[in-house]
Amino acid sequence: MSDNLHRTISGRENGTRIESRVLEERIQRAVADGCRRLEVEAFGQHGIGGRLWRAGDDPVHVRITGHAGQRVGAMGYANTTIEVLGPSSDDVGWLNAGARIVVHGNASNGVGNAMAQGKIYVAGNIGARGMTMTKQNPRFAPPELWVLGSVGDYFGEFMAGGVAVVCGVEAQDPENVLGYRPLVGMVGGRVFFRGPIKGFSQADARLVPIEDADFAWLVENLEAFLTAINRPDLLQDLSRRDQWQLLRARTAQEKRGRQLMSMADFKVRSWEAELGRGGLIGDLTNLDRSPIGLIVSGDLRRYVPVWENRKYLAPCEATCPTGIPVQQRWQLVRDGRVDEAVDLALAYTPFPATVCGYLCPGPCMQACTRQQSIMAPVDVRQLGRASLAAGLPDLPEPSGRKVAVIGGGPAGLSVAWQLRMRGHEATVYDLSGTLGGKIASVIPSSRIPEEVVSAELQRVREVIPHIHLQQKLRRADLAQLREDYDFVVIATGASKPRMLDVPGRERLITASDFLADAKAGRARVGERVVIIGAGNVGCDVATEAARLGARSLLLIDVQEPASFGAERRAAEAAGARFRWPCFTREITEEGVVLADGERIPADTVVISIGDVPDLDFLPETVAAERGFVTVNEFGQTSDPKIFAIGDIVRPGLLTDAIGAGRRAAEAIADMLDGKRPSANLQQVIDTRRVKLEYFDPRLTDFEDLDHCGSQCSSCGSCRDCGVCATICPQAAIERIEPDDGEFEYVVDADKCIACGFCAGACPCGIWNLVENDPLV
Amino acid sequence: MPADGKITPSTLSVKDLPWQIFWDKDKCTLCGKCTAVCPVSAIELGVFRKRIVEPALGIAEKPRHDYRIYYGIRQRTDPAYRCVGCAMCTMVCPNDAIMPQRSDEANKLVFHMDRGGQPRRRGGRRNVGGTILDRIKFIRISMLTDPALDAGRHEFELRTLLGRVLPPEDNLAFLSSNGWIPPVREIYPLVIGGMSFGALSPNMWEGLQMGVAYLNDELGMPVRICTGEGGCPPRLLRSRFLKNVILQIASGYFGWDEIIHAIPEMKEDPCAIEIKYGQGAKPGDGGLLMWYKVNELIAAIRGVPPGVSLPSPPTHQTKYSIEESVAKMIQSMYMAWDFRVPVFPKISATSTTLAVLNNLVRNPYAAGLAIDGEDGGTGAAYNVSMDHMGHPIASSLRDAYLNLVTVGRQNEIPLIAGGGVGKSGNLAANAAALIMLGASAVQTGKYIMQAAAGCLGSESDRCNICNIGQCPKGITSQDPRLYRRLDVEDVAQRVVDVFLTFDTELKKIIAPLGRSTSLPIGMADALGIDDSNAARRLKIKYVV
Repeated sequence: MSDNLHRTISGRENGTRIESRVLEERIQRAVADGCRRLEVEAFGQHGIGGRLWRAGDDPVHVRITGHAGQRVGAMGYANTTIEVLGPSSDDVGWLNAGARIVVHGNASNGVGNAMAQGKIYVAGNIGARGMTMTKQNPRFAPPELWVLGSVGDYFGEFMAGGVAVVCGVEAQDPENVLGYRPLVGMVGGRVFFRGPIKGFSQADARLVPIEDADFAWLVENLEAFLTAINRPDLLQDLSRRDQWQLLRARTAQEKRGRQLMSMADFKVRSWEAELGRGGLIGDLTNLDRSPIGLIVSGDLRRYVPVWENRKYLAPCEATCPTGIPVQQRWQLVRDGRVDEAVDLALAYTPFPATVCGYLCPGPCMQACTRQQSIMAPVDVRQLGRASLAAGLPDLPEPSGRKVAVIGGGPAGLSVAWQLRMRGHEATVYDLSGTLGGKIASVIPSSRIPEEVVSAELQRVREVIPHIHLQQKLRRADLAQLREDYDFVVIATGASKPRMLDVPGRERLITASDFLADAKAGRARVGERVVIIGAGNVGCDVATEAARLGARSLLLIDVQEPASFGAERRAAEAAGARFRWPCFTREITEEGVVLADGERIPADTVVISIGDVPDLDFLPETVAAERGFVTVNEFGQTSDPKIFAIGDIVRPGLLTDAIGAGRRAAEAIADMLDGKRPSANLQQVIDTRRVKLEYFDPRLTDFEDLDHCGSQCSSCGSCRDCGVCATICPQAAIERIEPDDGEFEYVVDADKCIACGFCAGACPCGIWNLVENDPLV
Repeated sequence: MPADGKITPSTLSVKDLPWQIFWDKDKCTLCGKCTAVCPVSAIELGVFRKRIVEPALGIAEKPRHDYRIYYGIRQRTDPAYRCVGCAMCTMVCPNDAIMPQRSDEANKLVFHMDRGGQPRRRGGRRNVGGTILDRIKFIRISMLTDPALDAGRHEFELRTLLGRVLPPEDNLAFLSSNGWIPPVREIYPLVIGGMSFGALSPNMWEGLQMGVAYLNDELGMPVRICTGEGGCPPRLLRSRFLKNVILQIASGYFGWDEIIHAIPEMKEDPCAIEIKYGQGAKPGDGGLLMWYKVNELIAAIRGVPPGVSLPSPPTHQTKYSIEESVAKMIQSMYMAWDFRVPVFPKISATSTTLAVLNNLVRNPYAAGLAIDGEDGGTGAAYNVSMDHMGHPIASSLRDAYLNLVTVGRQNEIPLIAGGGVGKSGNLAANAAALIMLGASAVQTGKYIMQAAAGCLGSESDRCNICNIGQCPKGITSQDPRLYRRLDVEDVAQRVVDVFLTFDTELKKIIAPLGRSTSLPIGMADALGIDDSNAARRLKIKYVV
């Protein structure tokens, strides 16, 4: 059979198999020559029947006898029909682009691999990886693979299109016509099959019902298949719809939802079913462990804001030896209650004007928080001076309990004043003819107007009716007082001048004598005055000496002078000079002789190296050390009925003496009530909580009380400014006024998120953010 | 700046701090969320006074000046309130107005974290980024020489063996002479390493366990999780989930009386017993669970009263030699479950690893050896231990494996490697590298914390406050106010995600090597590194 249209081409020549390349050349040449029906006697050559494009649209029929090699019909064209009369090797129809390929026996692995168009009919079974990586190009009809028997393993891997039909007739594996792990990675196409299978890739494919149109297509094409493989007899058997099943690729959307149990279901059905309600630790705790957010309120807050109004002392209050709540007074001023602010002082001191207004060096102002930013401290002196007009509170009825106070100076009057304020009767005894101790006798009138002192002393007399002046008490008298009174308070100060043990000491004038004489108008000074001891008292002496006409003022000391403040400045203004270290060897008529022999000429030499207490009148039961009485924190001596306060205990400021008097009075009052005296354990506020940024740092002068009040940051005591309620991002802070007339800022826990803005913004340092109580 | 303007040696400015808060005044809405969420109170509301001076043009008039007061977020500089960089502030800020940033200046804080003479303690791990495991490449790709495998579609056998695999003749001899052979488990090669109930919050711990249970029950992945030292909740001990659990016993023996009490009621044997002798993060140091984390729950599980600190000694107290440690402990632990449960020790990687290994090889009961490298994580340790103590896992494991090869026992005693696996996020690659260097399994902890719970810690000393109970994610806190931020189910789901991802990635690594039927343990011919010294040390290929 060899004419123009028909040609037989042998794969063997001269008894020898020809190369695939040569056979291909001959087939292509035959087609180019117009041959349209070829019979190829194959001897295992590769790729027979593919690529016959030279025929154009003319159909070409290739019959293969003998042993077809691998890839029969590879890259086949739609014009081509290939028939393999026996079984076929691997990859039948590889990359088939349209050829119709009929294998009249079994086909081995890789049938239809990467096929995109065309049809492959296999009259037997096929090997592994059939119909893999097949495509469907939308421009063409989908590729088809028809297998009469069964398919091998990994069928349809990566299948991306086309239709496979597996008829299961005389299947190689009657138990499983689709082989092991079919359709893994399938993304497109359909597989009709008939017969049992053992699973497929559930992730990639799904069984679907066979619709009428599907079945019509199947039956119609089945007939063509069976005809092609010469088995039309099977048509009836294979046309039973109930024997067929259809698999198709899952769509991308179907694949996304993995068919796995949700964790919530797992928890209920598996986890808690096994472990019990509450899971792993449901038996150990009832705690709610359900999820919460990052920002929480109520009990779930890690911190809570606390309005710590007056929990801590302001630095001014804490530093004031007298203990005057300075910041509260400024609050009263801000509230327009100036009178109350003024009057409040009398609850703490009988000398608010004299001491706070003039004589006190002002530890409160030194401690003022504003000083930390080098801002002018709030001027307490203005408030002090205004206190001259302070009105007395109503005094309580006398309790009948009596206390003897020895000494009418600031300490003695303070304790007597405070005792009277508490309803107890105090009787004051003093050696001198005037009340007020140092305030009245030795402080130069240049430092305080006389009328201020006398007005405050007059107020004292109104409060303390029992005052006995010019009473020199001896030890026996004291013993009697101890019996007659509930308590005795010794406040006789330190009025015995310390002297130098040097030759000529009789020429020295003591500072206290000098100052008292100067004040009384009796003092005389020479032109040249030398003052031994350059402390503040020495400075007062220098100032007074200048007033009395001295021309040359020299203060000498064994060390750098300890004088400071107003006294020092006044002395320097008066022209005083300071020299140190100078050790005095002798006092002569000419002046002072120093240890190194230098002679300092002087007409008047004043000694001002301090005063020491006179303890001669004290009973044996009162212990002393180094010339001073020893006391506990309340001023109680080793004799429980006897207290000692003021300079007899420790030299100090006027305010120290007043404060000691107040503390002793509180302790005595407590003890008279049968209570243990209590110390104030309040701590001073951490000033970092106070915000000075609210105030003008360039302010240097305070115009009046109102101005002072406005600039006080009110450390530790709420100013009632409302900043906290405003800054709170949750509007959780509210100002309330309980019935007692006071106010309070409260937090709504259900709104508060514990941001701490209230604490951050509070000018007074009231708000604090503290750890919430543990939940467990 | 302290209010009184005085400084101490430890007074720092923001510039000195490693983490600095950048706050945008224009964007901030003063909502308070950032200060509310900050775990360490490093930020607070500040009051600011702004001065504006306005001289007139030509100075024709007296210049005017004015003050304005405004509020803003201020960073505290007291070392006790240092910013830890967790960026929870950023997370809650509705306006993106705040963010911590790493300083460009050398850390000055480090010199002041020992106030009171107490050296710094923290959580996390060695604060040095990267690991040599990241540099190991898989260079043996099956190009035509072997059938290349498809990671996504082929079937893989990834399970590994935990337990002593004796040579067949030994096994037969054992069986015939005493009717027993060592128990062996088939487990997933990625094990969640020991993190105690106590170091972790209840929600975190339960989330991990639930995720592991899901992997076993729903996905058929035999993933195992180690309890760490801190006992095991009674319900878990009495549940079928116990088979997923490796019970750890360490020098504090916390919770072990409760475990002993539960033995008669156990439905399942635990997977294995891990005897912890050392931990890579803090070699030579024990646990440091502080009293404030020991609430009633923790106390109940550990079998102690609440409110006491629970330090574990650095060493087991009754073991005075390596022979004793190995023989005595392994025997005791085997006996508890009638010799059905594999028992293996865990040690810090050390230059003396081989001494331990050699001893284990001689002991047919030893079910394996877990080696924990220097990059391991911990909830609490001294900074100096974390940063400076320990041995890298790669060479320690490699030495151990090659030693087994030398004596011909490399498939008999499994090596379990840990310590920084997945440190830079490369969990599967690090694990595969260790497996090919000779590990039968790998343990990971911190990767799980980061991936399953969103741990913010990093080697740039971010967060790292696991030890103080203030974990902003609720992972290591015992305070419900914090750990309720963590949803148990979410953690469980993330555990599942992590293992599924790991599974795919591991296949993506081993499939191109042509391996699918068994884990490529010791397949070091597949490894290369671009460092010739490292290549020589690890006996792998040098590739550039």
